[in-house]
Amino acid sequence: MRNIPLHPFGKRPRIHERIIESILFLFALLSIVITLGIAIILIRESYLFFSDPEVGFWGFLTGKEWQPMIGRFGILPLLNATLITSVIAMSLGIPIGLFVAIYLSEYASDKTRGILKPVLEVLAGIPTIVYGYFALTFMTPLLRSIFGDGTVEIYNTASAGLVIGILVLPMIATMAEDAIGAVPKELRLAAYALGATKLETTIRVVIPAALSGLSATFLLALSRAIGETMIVALAAGAGPKLSFNPFRAAETITGYIVRISSGDVSYNSVDYNSIFALGLVLFVITFTLNMVSRKISNLFHQEYD
Amino acid sequence: MRTFMILLMITIVFAPLGAGGSKEAPVAAAQGGSLAWIEGPSVHGLPGVNPLKVSGNIITAGSSTVFPLSERMAERFKEEGYGGTITIDSIGSGAGFERFTVAGETDIANASRAIKAKEIENAAKIGRIPIEFRVGTDALAVTVSKENTFLKSVSKEQLAKIFSTAKLWSDVDPTWPSQPIHRFIPGTDSGTFDYFSEEVFSSNPEPLLAAANLQLSEDDNILVQGIKGSPYAIGFFGYAYYAENAGALNILAIDGVDATSANVDNGSYPLARPLFIYSDAKIMREKPQVAAFIDFYLSYVNEEVVGVGYFPANEEILQKGRQGWLEAMKDLY
Repeated sequence: MRNIPLHPFGKRPRIHERIIESILFLFALLSIVITLGIAIILIRESYLFFSDPEVGFWGFLTGKEWQPMIGRFGILPLLNATLITSVIAMSLGIPIGLFVAIYLSEYASDKTRGILKPVLEVLAGIPTIVYGYFALTFMTPLLRSIFGDGTVEIYNTASAGLVIGILVLPMIATMAEDAIGAVPKELRLAAYALGATKLETTIRVVIPAALSGLSATFLLALSRAIGETMIVALAAGAGPKLSFNPFRAAETITGYIVRISSGDVSYNSVDYNSIFALGLVLFVITFTLNMVSRKISNLFHQEYD
Repeated sequence: MRTFMILLMITIVFAPLGAGGSKEAPVAAAQGGSLAWIEGPSVHGLPGVNPLKVSGNIITAGSSTVFPLSERMAERFKEEGYGGTITIDSIGSGAGFERFTVAGETDIANASRAIKAKEIENAAKIGRIPIEFRVGTDALAVTVSKENTFLKSVSKEQLAKIFSTAKLWSDVDPTWPSQPIHRFIPGTDSGTFDYFSEEVFSSNPEPLLAAANLQLSEDDNILVQGIKGSPYAIGFFGYAYYAENAGALNILAIDGVDATSANVDNGSYPLARPLFIYSDAKIMREKPQVAAFIDFYLSYVNEEVVGVGYFPANEEILQKGRQGWLEAMKDLY
C-alpha cells in the first residue's frame, strides 16, 4: 500500500474518485478511437479504389472528368465545385459574421445583445435540409429574377454557396465575438488614452490583437462549408461538371457522395469505392484546415499581462 | 489496484456494446403454417386477404419507378386494416436487387427491369430463388418543360443524339434553337437508366454518361424540378412522375407514337417497359405477411395502377404471377 501516492491533503484517494476518473478517461479515449476508426476505414476502402487498375492516383488528382461508371476518375470537377461553393459561402459569411461580431462585442448595448444573440443561435439551430430547400425555392428564384432565367440555371453553385454562407454566419459571429472579447480591456483603454476614436480602436487595435482567434474561426468555418452536404445536394446540382461559372449546375464532393450513397449502389463497385476515396480527400482537407487553424491560434497567440 | 479498476470500467462500459453487437433478432417464427389471414372469396384465383389479420413487418426496396405503385398498394393494405409496417425504399432497381440478393435484407424487391442472371446467381448463394410478379407497365416518359415550343416528337435516333454528343439543340436538328441542351436523367443505379441505355444506346451507357450538362439523380422529383426550370432542358423518367407534373411538363411522342394507354397496350410505344416485384418462396412461407401483401398486391393492382400513372399489364402475364404465388405457397394453401 505504500506505493500509492498520497493526496496533497494527506488523504488516500477515494475509490469513487478513481472510478469517475476512469470513466472520463474512457470517454475521452472513445472519441479518439472513433476518429481513428473512421480514418482507418476511409484509408482501407480508398486503397481498394486506388488498387483498381483503371484508377491512377495522378489521374485522380488531375483528371477533368468524373464519371466512375465509364472509367473517368478525375476529381477536379467535384473539387472545383466544392471550392466554388465554399469561396462564395466565405465571401458572404466572413464579412457579415465579422461585422456582427464587432457590433456585438464593441458597440451593442446589453439589451440589443440580449435580443441578437438568441436570434443568431436560432439561425444556428436550423437543420441543413431546411437551408437546402431555402436555397432551392428562395435563393435560386431570387438569383434568377435578378440575373435572368437564361443566365442562372435551376441548380447552381451560387445559390448553394450563398446559403452555406448564411449557415456558417452564426458560427463565425459567435467565435469571432469570443476572439474579440478575449482582447484585454487595457489595450482598448490605452488606445483611448492616446486619443483614438472607438472605430480606430476597434480596427487598429482590437482586430489585430484578435487576429489569431479570427483566422482560426475563418478556417474552421471554411472547413464546415467544405463539408456541408445537404444544401449542395439539394441546390447545387447533381452532375459533375468543371465550370467556373457559379450560375451553372455542378456537383460537389459531398453532393456526389450523398447521391451515390442514397442510390445505394452495389458494394464492391468502383462507384461505391470511389466515395471512400472522396471521403478521404474531404477528411484530409478538413483535418488539415483544422490543424492549421490550431497552429495559427497557438502561433500568434499573444500574452497580454 | 488501478489496473483492476480500469479493467472493471472497461467491462462495465463495453459489456452492453458486446451484447448489442451480437443481436440477431430471432425472425418471427412462421405461425405453424396456418395462414390466418385467408378469408373471403378468392380473387382471380388467389385466396382472399383480410389485412386485419395480417401482422408483422414487410421490408421492400428498389425501383423509384415502381415506388409510387407499391406505396399505393401499401397504403390500401393499411387502410383495410394491416397493422404492421411496410418499408419501401426508393433506391433504384439495381440497389433493390442488391439488398434482396446479396445482403438478403429485404422481403420484396421492386424493379423496373427483369432480374439479371448475375443477380439470380447471387440470390442462390444466400439460398433465395427470386419469383417474378409482373404488376404493370410503364411508358418511359421523355419530357420537356411546358415553355419548350420546338419539341413535340422525337425519333429514337434523335434521342440518341440529344442524350449524348449533341451540345446544342441545333446540332440535332438545324431548325431547333442553338441553345445548349440540359439533360436530367435518373442515376446509374436505376432500372430506368439501364432501360434507356439498353433501348437507345444498345446497352452501352458511355455516350449517355459522357454527355455535357448532365445531371443525374435517383430522386425523380429533382429531375422534374430541373426540367421545369428551363425551356432547353430535357429528361426522362417513369410515366407516373410525368402524370403527377403534367401541368408543367410536356411529354414527347417517340417515333411519332404518343404514350397513350392504347399504344402501350398494343406495344407500339417504343419505350414501354414492364414493372415487377420480386420475392422468394422461402420468405413468403416464413413470413406470412409477405405472402399476404403480394396476394393483395396481385389481386387489386389493376384497380390502382392507372391512378398512380401507369398502365395495367395484360391479364395473361398477371395470371402468371398469381400462378407463381400459388406454387410458392403450395401445401400451405
